[in-house]
Amino acid sequence: MNAITGVALRAVAAATPARVVRTADYTYLNPDERRRFQKATGISERRIVAAGQCASDLCLTAAKAVLEHLGWDPASIGALILITQTGDQPVPATSIVLQDKLRLPQSCLAFDINLGCSSYPYGLAVVGSMIRTLGIARALLLVGDVSSRVCAEHDKSAWPLFGDAGSATALELDENAPPIHVDLCSDGAGKDAIIIPGGGLASRLPPVDGHLVDATGSDGVQRHAGNLVLRGADIFSFAISRVPGSIQRAMSASGRAAQDFDFLLLHQANKMINDTIARKLGFAPDRVPTSIEHYGNTSSASIPVTLCANAELFAMPRWVVASGFGVGLSWGSATFQLPAASVLPCIASDDVY
Amino acid sequence: MTIEDFIDKFAFAIEVDTNTLAPDTHFKTLPSWDSLNTLAVIAMADADYGVTVTGRDIEAATTVADMWAVVSSKCVATE
Repeated sequence: MNAITGVALRAVAAATPARVVRTADYTYLNPDERRRFQKATGISERRIVAAGQCASDLCLTAAKAVLEHLGWDPASIGALILITQTGDQPVPATSIVLQDKLRLPQSCLAFDINLGCSSYPYGLAVVGSMIRTLGIARALLLVGDVSSRVCAEHDKSAWPLFGDAGSATALELDENAPPIHVDLCSDGAGKDAIIIPGGGLASRLPPVDGHLVDATGSDGVQRHAGNLVLRGADIFSFAISRVPGSIQRAMSASGRAAQDFDFLLLHQANKMINDTIARKLGFAPDRVPTSIEHYGNTSSASIPVTLCANAELFAMPRWVVASGFGVGLSWGSATFQLPAASVLPCIASDDVY
Repeated sequence: MTIEDFIDKFAFAIEVDTNTLAPDTHFKTLPSWDSLNTLAVIAMADADYGVTVTGRDIEAATTVADMWAVVSSKCVATE
């Protein structure tokens, strides 16, 4: 894929709810299961929204933070792209509602993209390309999910993994910016690995005003059709076998080797997955920042959350290779430079707009 | 590459004493077996044998020897 040239990342912010939920308190697992769960996944706690707070609220908090940090007038924003799988309502697109809530001008284009764990590299590619080809001066890439709202609390295979978060990345047209290289992939044959089967038209289920009835899945877990189903083993083998190649392709497109990058930023699904990918690519643990221990799997927002949870590492300009992978199956990698002090510390916020 | 060696690695991955496993052990009936063990076995196959075992491979296997057949055949295929 061609490089995206002349587009600069200016600032990254992430917001999570204030409420902390601990693995140690999850009563659907016994104490020994909790210990093993924590060892394998790396998750000791997560931030979970209270009823009423949406992904859009968390993204809006993050968007306000980047605008304020950069001193950007909302009127200067020409594009707002939101990537989420937990929008406010099926119609209209949540990004359009956010254009109004953020008081962005009517000349600002806005639309949603339906992607999960692979969102960040895809988002950089889409927003970067649009800035470049349409000559948009400034844009906001918002990425976030409230996965806790779609998982059944008693579902041991999903509930204790996910944390809620929203993020905002500010990008700007800048002829002198270093190039962004991406590698983006899809494999719909793996659609059942992570799926919310109901709620869309293909499910042939009654429309949403019908009562959702629990049924027992082949894994023995009771869910209704609006709940997320996650087949962890399938995701695990997909991630360790196909993600390293994508990261390699993005790095070689950039003309830089693994040792030329300050940090490898990985989607935070599971510690064992990330340890395996990092080992295959020759990144020592000190060059692979994490957020999974305190934030869990924050789905689409995991890469910005990991940046912000380690903001102190980004006081100076840094070259980063980032990779997101999961639901779809969809995966992608991106190489980019973050300017000095462009990563803001994580914000805890229960604000609802 | 022997099944004895594989049993040692399998036992270490799923955190049981290696003496509790034999080729004909039905590993999914072990009291401690759960979905986390599935991930641990996939990670072990990748790290120690350089092959990708899928969730379906583990679903289809019953005994430790079945798993060894999967891993060893994938090793041959990638040589």
